[in-house]
Amino acid sequence: MCSSLATRVAPRRPGASGACSRALAAAFTMGNKQTVFTHEQLEAYQDCTFFTRKEIMRLFYRYQDLAPQLVPLDYTSCPDVKVPYELIGSMPELKDNPFRQRIAQVFSDDGDGHMTLDNFLDMFSVMSEMAPRDLKAYYAFKIYDFNDDGYICAWDLEQTVTKLTRGELSAEEVSLVCEKVLGEADGDHDGRLSLEDFQNMILRAPDFLSTFHIRI
Amino acid sequence: MFSDDQLNEIIVEAENVPSRVVPEKTPVNSSFSMVSSISDIDVTDSQSFGNPDDKKSKQLLRFSTSLNESFLQTLHRSPGSVGIDTSHENIQGQKLIASLIPMTSRDRIKAIRSQPRTMEEKRNLKKMVDKEKSKQSHRILEFNCCAQCLNSVSQAYRRSKNSLSELLSYISLWQKTFKVIGGKFGTSVLSYFNFLRWLLKFNIFSFIVTFSFIIIPQFTVPEKNTLQFTGLEFFTGAGYFQDTVMYYGFYTNSTVQHGSSGAPYNMQLAYIFTIGACLIVCFFSLLFSMARYFRNNFINPHIYSRGITKLIFCWDFTVTHERAVKLKQKNLSTEIRENLSEIRQENVKLTLNQQLIHVLAHLAAWVVSTGVAIACCVAVYYLAENNSEFLKNHQNPGAVLLLPFLVSCINLATPRLYSLFRLVERYETPRREVYILLIRNIFLKISIIGILCYYWLNIVAQAGEECWETLIGQEIYRLLLMDFVFSLADSLLGEFLRRLIGMQFPTSLGLQEFDIARNVLELIYAQTLVWIGTFFCPLLPFIQMISLFIMFYVKNISLMMNFQPPSKAWRASQMMTFFIFLLFFPSFTGVLCTLAITIWRLKPSADCGPFRGLPFFIHSIYSWIDTLSKRPGYLWVVWIYQNLIGSVHFFFILTLIVLIITYLYWQITEGRKIMIRLLHEQIINEGKDKMFLIEKLAKLQDMEKRANTSSFTMERRDVEQTSPLHVREHNAAHDLRFRRSVQEENPKV
Repeated sequence: MCSSLATRVAPRRPGASGACSRALAAAFTMGNKQTVFTHEQLEAYQDCTFFTRKEIMRLFYRYQDLAPQLVPLDYTSCPDVKVPYELIGSMPELKDNPFRQRIAQVFSDDGDGHMTLDNFLDMFSVMSEMAPRDLKAYYAFKIYDFNDDGYICAWDLEQTVTKLTRGELSAEEVSLVCEKVLGEADGDHDGRLSLEDFQNMILRAPDFLSTFHIRI
Repeated sequence: MFSDDQLNEIIVEAENVPSRVVPEKTPVNSSFSMVSSISDIDVTDSQSFGNPDDKKSKQLLRFSTSLNESFLQTLHRSPGSVGIDTSHENIQGQKLIASLIPMTSRDRIKAIRSQPRTMEEKRNLKKMVDKEKSKQSHRILEFNCCAQCLNSVSQAYRRSKNSLSELLSYISLWQKTFKVIGGKFGTSVLSYFNFLRWLLKFNIFSFIVTFSFIIIPQFTVPEKNTLQFTGLEFFTGAGYFQDTVMYYGFYTNSTVQHGSSGAPYNMQLAYIFTIGACLIVCFFSLLFSMARYFRNNFINPHIYSRGITKLIFCWDFTVTHERAVKLKQKNLSTEIRENLSEIRQENVKLTLNQQLIHVLAHLAAWVVSTGVAIACCVAVYYLAENNSEFLKNHQNPGAVLLLPFLVSCINLATPRLYSLFRLVERYETPRREVYILLIRNIFLKISIIGILCYYWLNIVAQAGEECWETLIGQEIYRLLLMDFVFSLADSLLGEFLRRLIGMQFPTSLGLQEFDIARNVLELIYAQTLVWIGTFFCPLLPFIQMISLFIMFYVKNISLMMNFQPPSKAWRASQMMTFFIFLLFFPSFTGVLCTLAITIWRLKPSADCGPFRGLPFFIHSIYSWIDTLSKRPGYLWVVWIYQNLIGSVHFFFILTLIVLIITYLYWQITEGRKIMIRLLHEQIINEGKDKMFLIEKLAKLQDMEKRANTSSFTMERRDVEQTSPLHVREHNAAHDLRFRRSVQEENPKV
């Protein structure tokens, strides 16, 4: 089942078959027999994300599969391992997403896109379908805030629109769109969107919950 | 006009946040604390329609984000000492932990999961809360070992719930397929398949219940089946199948008892209670789903905006296929351009003539569509009435399929006719167009089902046929089967041909898009028939289960081969809410009405089925209550029946209470709408105040600078003119004045 997904979505990589067998092993293991995490670690992950134990193990094997030489199979000693952004951005779920770089930057520790396992689990937990709307709105705000100043200003909007339309719109149309967005969503009229403006706008867009969702 | 740093500094100063704050996160902190000051009013209600858990977690979300240092500090703090650290984060960290401790463990985990922090911070938070909690519980351990019992019980319950959800996700159907569909076509098309899977769950549940409680007991009391089996039974449902567990007529009305010591099993009561239980569970499940969808997706119509903001910020992250993403980007650009041009055209007013033409076009379209629907209903009724004579004249057993064939043809052709009205009518928004099309289609489908039910209940049931329930069951089976065959043919052949035609003339037609509304309506139609038919044909949920299963794969294959991703944004959540409402309101309530009429008004057939010989179906319950009233141990059941279910006063009082509560909630909602409007105005005013103060401050600063530079030059001239005797004095005075002016220049350093 794993290999058919791999052929459908991405070219076969050398580690794929090994990952498949490991993933199958993870799928049939009840939580007590795995040797990757201690029991407390796994329980902490379970309590801090929206995933079950099986999904956490499956995600771990996906993470490990990105960089098999870098990521050890034993996390009981909490090794400090970061998978570089280039490998994260080549995941089939992210590789064609226009915002993949921003997503990786927002969820990484130093804002550079290189992610530890904690960051990886955090990212997919927020993007899963069980995360509440406010949490998703908070992170969506951070993703669209390109210059990291805590507000979505006109320049951030221009970047967003450019990434969304891939150069199809002219510069004049892009600035018109940004003006319109600020006019619609800016509640306190300070020329930029704060987190509250964004959350207020999200309340009027109920599709946000289902579209801000990455399946893994 | 002002640099961002200047603005940020002024914001920080205006709110008096202590200086030891991490600089790059300052504006987010300040906006959080500003909101928390406003939230002293009950603003959380206006921001969400959520339950108390959500409100609490929302309040927790507003604390500052960089609390890692404070966590580490408090971890290393000795237990007895009081923290004299008055830094901002520490206070808020303490507040957060203190608010988490008294929660139940389930709420606590929910709150921790919803925190917008990194994994390490959440882990530390959890560790500290657990430590504090264990310290507290240690103190009361001697007095209350019950609490620890409860704690361990709740932990065991949580673990079992986790393993159950793991098991459920393990057997959850089609996860990988959903990922592929979502990756190529996006969330909107996925919503159709989600709906299909949800309906499948209903049918699986109905099948399991009817199988366990009606069909298996009937298997233990078999009757001989003397009819011949020919292959035609799969299509007509008659013949050999007539005397199997498939139809009502086969079921015994006796009390099954195996051996002298086995428990008696009353088939009559089992039949009516099982069907009743299925319907009640479906009712509540529909009600709760509808309520949940309304709560999440309901938009206050006053603040509806035809906005461009939703297009920008609701990019579909589920789309992962490269070509689909490119196509989606292109479509988004087209939609943005349309939106921009719409706004420019918004102010164009139509002349009176044009308005009149539009109104006439709408009126004509409505008259034609209603006329077509009524004509179809009349045709169906006429054919149904004359069906029996027709069948007597034509001995071909396949002739019974004529009525289902006609109904399926109507269901195939008329929606497409309705779509053609689009060429004549012009709507203000595409959304209104979709809704009106849906309303016309559902009116057609429900009218056809309604007319058929009328025919069955009034004519067939009272015509004196031998086993009219079985006849109705057969009719419904044939309708469903013909509908299934037509859907298959449409997907496999029709869409394939449409793709071939589209490829021949690439410029004009192009690839087709998946019509979500039409397909969902077909599912609703089939499910309505299944719900009606379960009483007459208990195996019908099983048949529908199989057909839904096959439909999923057929639609999936056809989708991948023949369709392109949707070009327009389709508001999936709102549409789903509407579809579930349609499933509940005309569809399920119609089923309840039909079955209520059957059970209360119709006479069961005399020779077949579990209710044979009774004057009405409901008499089985009456006689059961009578037998119970003779047994002393069950008098409470009789009391409940007589005073709660059978009494008018009780329902009157209940209705009155429900109406009063509804009225109160409605008034509360109106009050909250006013509150939202007032708070919105307050936000706008605060923004204006902020800009005004910033401008004023900047002007003052400019004036100070200019005044200082001019007084500086004037003082220098004075110093040059006075005698050297006063030099030192003037110098000192000048220094003093200079120092004072410097201090005035930087007021709040």
